[in-house]
Amino acid sequence: MTSPAVAHEHAHGHERAERERLPVIRGREQAAPFSAKVDVVIVGSGAGGAVLARELARDGRSVLVLEEGGHYAPSEYGAMTPSNSFRRLSREAGMSVALGLGDTPLISLLAGKCVGGSSVLTGGVCFRIPEEVLHTWSSSLGLGRMTPEGLDPFFSEVEGICHVEDVPAHMRSRATELFVEGADKLGIPMKTMRRNTKGCRGAARCNFGCPNGAKMSVDVSFLPDAVAHGATVVSDALVERIDITGGVARGVRGRFLDGVTGEPRVRFEVRAKLVVVACGSMHTPILLRRSGLDSVHIGRHLTLHPAVRIGALFDEAVDGWDGALQSVYTDHFLGDGIWLNGVYSPVNVLAAAFPGVGREHRRLVKQMPNLAFFGGMVHDDGGGQVRRWISREPLVTYKMVKRDKARLLKTIHILGRMAFAAGAREVLTPIFGMATVKKEKDLEFLLEDKVAASKVECMAFHPLGSAKMATTADAGVVKPTGETWAVDNLFVCDGSILPTSIGVNSQLPIMSVAMMLARGIAADFERYSSRA
Amino acid sequence: MTKDFARSTLNARHRPVLRALAEAMFSPDGEVVPERLDAFVDDVDGFISPASKTLRFGLVLMLFAIRWSPLLFFRFRTFEELTVDERVHHLERLERSKVKQLPLLVVAYKTVLTMIFYEDETEQRAIGYPGHARERWKTALPVVQPRREAIGSEEAAS
Repeated sequence: MTSPAVAHEHAHGHERAERERLPVIRGREQAAPFSAKVDVVIVGSGAGGAVLARELARDGRSVLVLEEGGHYAPSEYGAMTPSNSFRRLSREAGMSVALGLGDTPLISLLAGKCVGGSSVLTGGVCFRIPEEVLHTWSSSLGLGRMTPEGLDPFFSEVEGICHVEDVPAHMRSRATELFVEGADKLGIPMKTMRRNTKGCRGAARCNFGCPNGAKMSVDVSFLPDAVAHGATVVSDALVERIDITGGVARGVRGRFLDGVTGEPRVRFEVRAKLVVVACGSMHTPILLRRSGLDSVHIGRHLTLHPAVRIGALFDEAVDGWDGALQSVYTDHFLGDGIWLNGVYSPVNVLAAAFPGVGREHRRLVKQMPNLAFFGGMVHDDGGGQVRRWISREPLVTYKMVKRDKARLLKTIHILGRMAFAAGAREVLTPIFGMATVKKEKDLEFLLEDKVAASKVECMAFHPLGSAKMATTADAGVVKPTGETWAVDNLFVCDGSILPTSIGVNSQLPIMSVAMMLARGIAADFERYSSRA
Repeated sequence: MTKDFARSTLNARHRPVLRALAEAMFSPDGEVVPERLDAFVDDVDGFISPASKTLRFGLVLMLFAIRWSPLLFFRFRTFEELTVDERVHHLERLERSKVKQLPLLVVAYKTVLTMIFYEDETEQRAIGYPGHARERWKTALPVVQPRREAIGSEEAAS
């Protein structure tokens, strides 16, 4: 008789094989100039672009998706070491940063550059946009459709397509269980995380592409359906400019990236009735500016959700790598704009943030099995800006307001207390040059505003808002329909249009808003076509 | 694996500084053989080279700054000319410095170097990481029920 484990393996092996059949034209293999004429060209294949591609392809439109990054099948993710994942799947090999202005940390930014975009690199966490945020959007900003009721059908549909589910309790790593124990002792209630996974095996390296093909990122959920309905996806295709004539977008032009040098090489041109920019908050503003749009809002209002994590050294073996990367969270401190969750990462990536040099660093790394990691992020004000600069990559700056800096330090303080409450004997804080903390009272300095923000190791995963939606051209870059105020038939459909920080992981919100916009575009397609 | 972009960033002037940095980070007591340190420099070069021109320029500039940073503490030698213990001490001072940019010199390279160094399977085993094996997901596998015919034939056999 087939053992349960083997049966399970076969079932999921078959599903994974199904998910790998995504035919993509590889731009790096194109030797001759290329031109095409389609109904809709979408620049970017991430959470926004992929959803739009599916919806419009299902509506019977000819759709071409152009992605600057390469294409890798889910089976290839597992063969990549974390550093190889960074090199192949991320912008700047995972070394993108937002430069801190004033009393602000240097913030490490992770953004995808591959078919599937940043959805390939998320932890899979899915939250709806909090009701209080939607209330602000609909009542204060006048975005009438952005209400919990208005977005509910789109949230529900996206959750169904990409299989959003509760992380089962048995998938909690021991590190997460300790996180919950510590929270419990401090009276902090924890909740079960929801993620877009199917058959998760707890490899705890979701941010580097799921090695088991279990994360339902858009390259395995939305794009295959788009392709099944006739959409074409082209990788390694750098769009350099949107063609605009008479105030109407007519198509895009750019170059395929060379397979050896990575530099732009063979030219391509696409004529389209509608152009959709979905390059994410860091690159959408660059393409819009490069194409001649000059709204003062392009590139401004960038929000990041600055995040920190701590390490906690226990006497027991934690083996935190065995379990879901993220499985619990608490919104207990949401009044302070703080969101806490259990986290993990490949051990070499975790070791990179340990304090000390030489022997002290080695001492801590050797205790990796006994280390647990807890994280938190801050619901921030939009203090960031994206600018064009010397290379293809943007210059990103961020000025953290005093309130957010205090929140960031308070986050470290709370996480440290939870670690000690759970029985940790040492806490590794994300403060550069600081030795490990051995007593809870030694964390009090974090509440005294004595730490320069530049000393805090900080990261961000949800850049949003750099081409924000507004009800007037004076207040933003795109209309509530997603079309730009400046150019007809030019749409933006990614995290850059979200008008404020949302305080939660952005994957599901971007996909759901994209679906709402796509349905609107489909309904009005003939009207848009008549202008083309 | 799909063909990867290939280019190089570090030249002959940069490599000794990076090697000296790696030696201070991971081999304060000579734990790592020289050949491995040389190969490690190539690995780091391979990692940073897909980045944009500006970022690569910034990383090279930081390496230049690390090389001459002992002058900030009135040590009239380049970083790679210091002994390993002096380098460790120097990096600790930089990391603790209140001058905003100095800790970033150390942290930027420490992050990249550490990630690549501990990617090596031998190093991972040495720190107790078992590799890809995972156990927790198996604890709640679906139970496969034996078919009725199989039960019947087993009963008949007994």
